[in-house]
Amino acid sequence: MKFYVCIKQVPDVNAPLQIKDGQLIQDADRNILNAYDASAVEEALVLAEKHSGEVEVVLAGPEKAKETLRKALAMGADKGTHIVTNGDEDFDSYAYAKILSKFFSDKEYDFISCGKQSQDTDAGLTGSMLAEMLNLPYATNAVGLEFSDGKMTVKRQGDSGQEMIEVPAPGLVTCSNDMNDPRIPSLKGIMQSKRKPVDTIALNDLGAEISSDDVQTKVLGFEEKPEREPGKKYEGEPDEIARQVAQLLDSEENVI
Amino acid sequence: MSTLLTVISVNDGKIKRSSLEVLSRCNELASNNGMKSAALVIDSKASEIAEQLKNYGPDEIYTIENPIFKNHLNTPVLKALSTAVSQINPKVVAFPSTESSKDVLGALAANQQTAALSDMSEFDLTDNGVKGKRPVMASKIISSVEASGSPVIISVRSGSYDVVEKESNANIEAIDFNFSDEELQITLKEIISSSSDRVDLSEAEVVVAAGRGVKDEEGRNLISELASVLNAGIGASRALTEAGDYDPSLQIGQTGKVVSPQLYIGVAISGAIQHVAGMANSKVIVAINKDPDAPIFDIADYGLVGDLYKILPPFIEELKKIKQN
Ligand SMILES: Cc1cc2nc3c(=O)[nH]c(=O)nc-3n(C[C@H](O)[C@H](O)[C@H](O)COP(=O)(O)OP(=O)(O)OC[C@H]3O[C@@H](n4cnc5c(N)ncnc54)[C@H](O)[C@@H]3O)c2cc1C
Repeated sequence: MKFYVCIKQVPDVNAPLQIKDGQLIQDADRNILNAYDASAVEEALVLAEKHSGEVEVVLAGPEKAKETLRKALAMGADKGTHIVTNGDEDFDSYAYAKILSKFFSDKEYDFISCGKQSQDTDAGLTGSMLAEMLNLPYATNAVGLEFSDGKMTVKRQGDSGQEMIEVPAPGLVTCSNDMNDPRIPSLKGIMQSKRKPVDTIALNDLGAEISSDDVQTKVLGFEEKPEREPGKKYEGEPDEIARQVAQLLDSEENVI
Repeated sequence: MSTLLTVISVNDGKIKRSSLEVLSRCNELASNNGMKSAALVIDSKASEIAEQLKNYGPDEIYTIENPIFKNHLNTPVLKALSTAVSQINPKVVAFPSTESSKDVLGALAANQQTAALSDMSEFDLTDNGVKGKRPVMASKIISSVEASGSPVIISVRSGSYDVVEKESNANIEAIDFNFSDEELQITLKEIISSSSDRVDLSEAEVVVAAGRGVKDEEGRNLISELASVLNAGIGASRALTEAGDYDPSLQIGQTGKVVSPQLYIGVAISGAIQHVAGMANSKVIVAINKDPDAPIFDIADYGLVGDLYKILPPFIEELKKIKQN
């Protein structure tokens, strides 16, 4: 079986953040593989091992994002494609979905998977946009995957329970990070990744020029979230502080 | 006249509060801008739901009723949505941010070749679209965003707006919709677990959330007892949903649900940003944690430092007393 996993390089949300003149300032060296994508890679590797398949990772992003592609190869993906974008800071989910749909238009595969959202924007749109553009059946928010007889059984987290959905190949799934712990590349994996094939495609050569019409959403700026004032800490006899706080919730806050 | 269309989310025959929040905001924007506010119900019992909606002030109610909508499946929902959008031709399509809407938002935008903004905490109209705010970077930062397009498709976080009741004698119009099984690209095999018999978390006024320190049956019993005294929804951190101690649909956070209760009580939760992303908008935050330096104390209004097994029993007892009086 052939698996494609779409991955993205994102700034580490745990790194210190600063806002200056409405712009987000971040340590440029702390870019990582989107955690949800890492889960998608992990899951694809497990399935490929079981069904003697192949995993190829695809990343659209600037030159610098290549290191993230290497990370996925070091985890065990067989091959990578880097669609090199320049100055894509303004690209939105729609633009990325369009680029990817162009890439996939002449490919053959059983399944495409991607993270259910990216950790930085939390938009969660690209996966289902891509499925619609490619006219593929899809399932989002997967927390478990099984493959057999050309079908993927997806356990997805719905509003009030887990839904078992069957998606026929070729199809698309988006993955949550609640289903596995992505493997950490071994030294051997890292060494091997350097010899693995990586196709580099310039956006123009892909024929996926992104015009201003394709970028329909704009980020105008950033602001700090108003900080919550830390309240009061109650230390001491459990009995005493428990009763005290319970009473305050009633008398002061009126929430009981 | 331009229309603002709110897609109503229904769970077990009940309208989700989060969709009434979005509808209330659209009513307000419509009346301020000389537009029409319409509600759309896609459900196996859509006409019954439509009647209830008359208490919340839409100018127009559209229904798409079909047994296929008994369970959520994206293929028919998407077809229903695109049928409705083509017919109504709204300026904005607004969803409450639920798992079901997250499942189709992007696909609908691609289908209509238009812009989408998900999980907004605030929105307003512009001349040719929508502007507003959405939390990013695990909700540590707020970004200002804007989209132009026709329509602009958005989803709105629960708790962002108040529900305003308003009588209306809106016309209810059923939209023609056919769906044959051959069109069904994906199939539903089974719904494994359901927490629908419990208080719906994203709608709850009080939330009791359990973290990794709740490590045995005794701890889980204390959580249930606390929740039942307060008539609260039970939530959990990922540490516990992953361990299988709590249903995954109860996870609160960046990956899980966004809650915005009047009172949130976090028991043995450290306060990792991915968890906080889902609960920071709670009105009053109480944290119980034995580590005085746990990050959750930085955002808690009431921080109880100590062992949950020692604090919860007298806390529950006191709450019972207060409730009785
Ligand atoms: C991409 C991504 C998405 C994520 N999404 C989510 C999400 O949506 N929701 C989520 O919750 N997490 C999410 N996480 C995980 C998150 O980072 C944390 O790992 C998780 O929230 C920790 O859960 P916890 O606070 O219960 O456990 P811990 O961090 O282990 O904290 C347990 C706390 O309990 C206290 N404690 C222990 N025993 C007791 C006792 N007897 N009495 C009192 N206190 C006690 C300890 O002092 C400690 O502070 C995500 C992570 C990633 C990378």
